[in-house]
Amino acid sequence: MIRLDSLGVRLVDRRRGDRRWVLKDVSLCVPTGCIYGLVGPGAAGKSVLLKTVVGLLEVEEGLVALDAIDVGQAAPLELELLRRRIGMAFQNNALFDDLTVADNIAFPLRRLFSPSDDEVREKVKERLDCVTLSGFQDRMPAGLSGGQKKRVAFARATITRPPFLILDEPAAGLDPVSSQRLFDLIKRDVTASGSTCLAVSSDLDRLLPICDRVGVLVNGQLLFDGTVAEARNAADPRVYQFINGLPDGPL
Amino acid sequence: MGFLMALSSRLPYRVWGDLRGFVASLGGGVLLQAATVGQMGVLLSRIAARSTPARLDRRELVRHMEFMAIESLPIVGVTALFTGAIVIIQAAPVVQRFGAEGLLGWGAGFGVLREIGPLLTALMISGRVGANNTADLGTMVVTEQVDGLRALAIDPIAYLIVPRFFALIATLALMTIFSDVLALVGAALAGEVLVGLTMHGFYNGFTSGLIEFKDVAHGLIKSVAFGFIVALSSCHFGLATTGGAPGVGRSVKASVVASATGIFALDYFLSFVVP
Repeated sequence: MIRLDSLGVRLVDRRRGDRRWVLKDVSLCVPTGCIYGLVGPGAAGKSVLLKTVVGLLEVEEGLVALDAIDVGQAAPLELELLRRRIGMAFQNNALFDDLTVADNIAFPLRRLFSPSDDEVREKVKERLDCVTLSGFQDRMPAGLSGGQKKRVAFARATITRPPFLILDEPAAGLDPVSSQRLFDLIKRDVTASGSTCLAVSSDLDRLLPICDRVGVLVNGQLLFDGTVAEARNAADPRVYQFINGLPDGPL
Repeated sequence: MGFLMALSSRLPYRVWGDLRGFVASLGGGVLLQAATVGQMGVLLSRIAARSTPARLDRRELVRHMEFMAIESLPIVGVTALFTGAIVIIQAAPVVQRFGAEGLLGWGAGFGVLREIGPLLTALMISGRVGANNTADLGTMVVTEQVDGLRALAIDPIAYLIVPRFFALIATLALMTIFSDVLALVGAALAGEVLVGLTMHGFYNGFTSGLIEFKDVAHGLIKSVAFGFIVALSSCHFGLATTGGAPGVGRSVKASVVASATGIFALDYFLSFVVP
């Protein structure tokens, strides 16, 4: 379970030089085995929220807890152990430039679990097949298209079958077919492994059908937290406009 | 304070404003440098905490050393050969006037081993390897690769910084030895061509007993200290990169400037301290 209670995060504003609130009073709960879609307009604080959940950014106010562990108060070793249970795909993919596709995907497996070479090869092959990149194992990230990099990043995030899956724009830059396949794969993987998934995506048409719950974040505040059906008929005009993709409205 | 108030009342408003702006920017610059030094100290303490033999990633260390050595070998070699020759070109007229050709081996050896070899090698490594290290780390920061490591429960300091830090220091020390040898070869060749001093004569001058082991050690100690400066500076500015691709460029520039300044300042002090 992922639980956020009155979360507040401040970051340095480079233009003004001071620290401003990027997330304010955000509360939500992602039950175990649930896919939670976090959506919202650009610069709403979605990526900041994901990074805070993983402990990459400081919790200024409130609580972030994964299962029973308070991320903001966790000791370094406790945080390290927690992160072993998290798979994360970044918005910019964060693939390691000097490693091949296979080594990138195998990286968390090798560094965290020291498996045999055969086991690594087998798992990498299975992940590459899943993201339809068979035969790409020896390529370098620089030689991949944006969509291929996204798929490699997803394969790396899921190779250890982590209990928590954090996905930041996993399908950005993918064509509609690849995007649909990737979201289907997320649904299959999460269902099979029982992971708890928190996903941010701008591709609402493909994200919402696989989500159990959805949250709408605008200007650092969570305006809505509920089921997809509830979101489509939300009373808040900003949520209604965003979820239904209407050009006219308060946003 | 009273003097300043009296001065401010006499000065035209625009001049007083300019003066205040100058003092403010000067103070801001000093504070910025102090913050940078402080951050380097913090990074150094983190490196020290992770530098136990058990935690050192030897595979990464060797990989970086190989890469750094291969990358810097040609430029250090060419620079060293020409440096040795330049020493002879500059000394030849005076040496010939006094008929002291026999001292060329000693003069070139003394200058190269104690000063020129370590200094120029450090500057070359700073520009070639240090800048590359900063760009590499800066790119990793702005493309979220460093965050990626942390999210994978891998300590970026232990995995990325510690091997590079020690690889750079070791590479600079080894390159200094290589550079010293090539500079002496360059000097001996130039001596034969320009002054007519045979290789044998150059060797006799070099081994006449005027150069001691402490001169070699002096240069090597300096090279390790310079390596420390280049490694710390390049790692710090790489990790401190912000602002995308332009930020990487700014970090590289800051790293090279800081390394060069640090090398010369340290050279000055070490020349006094190390016998």
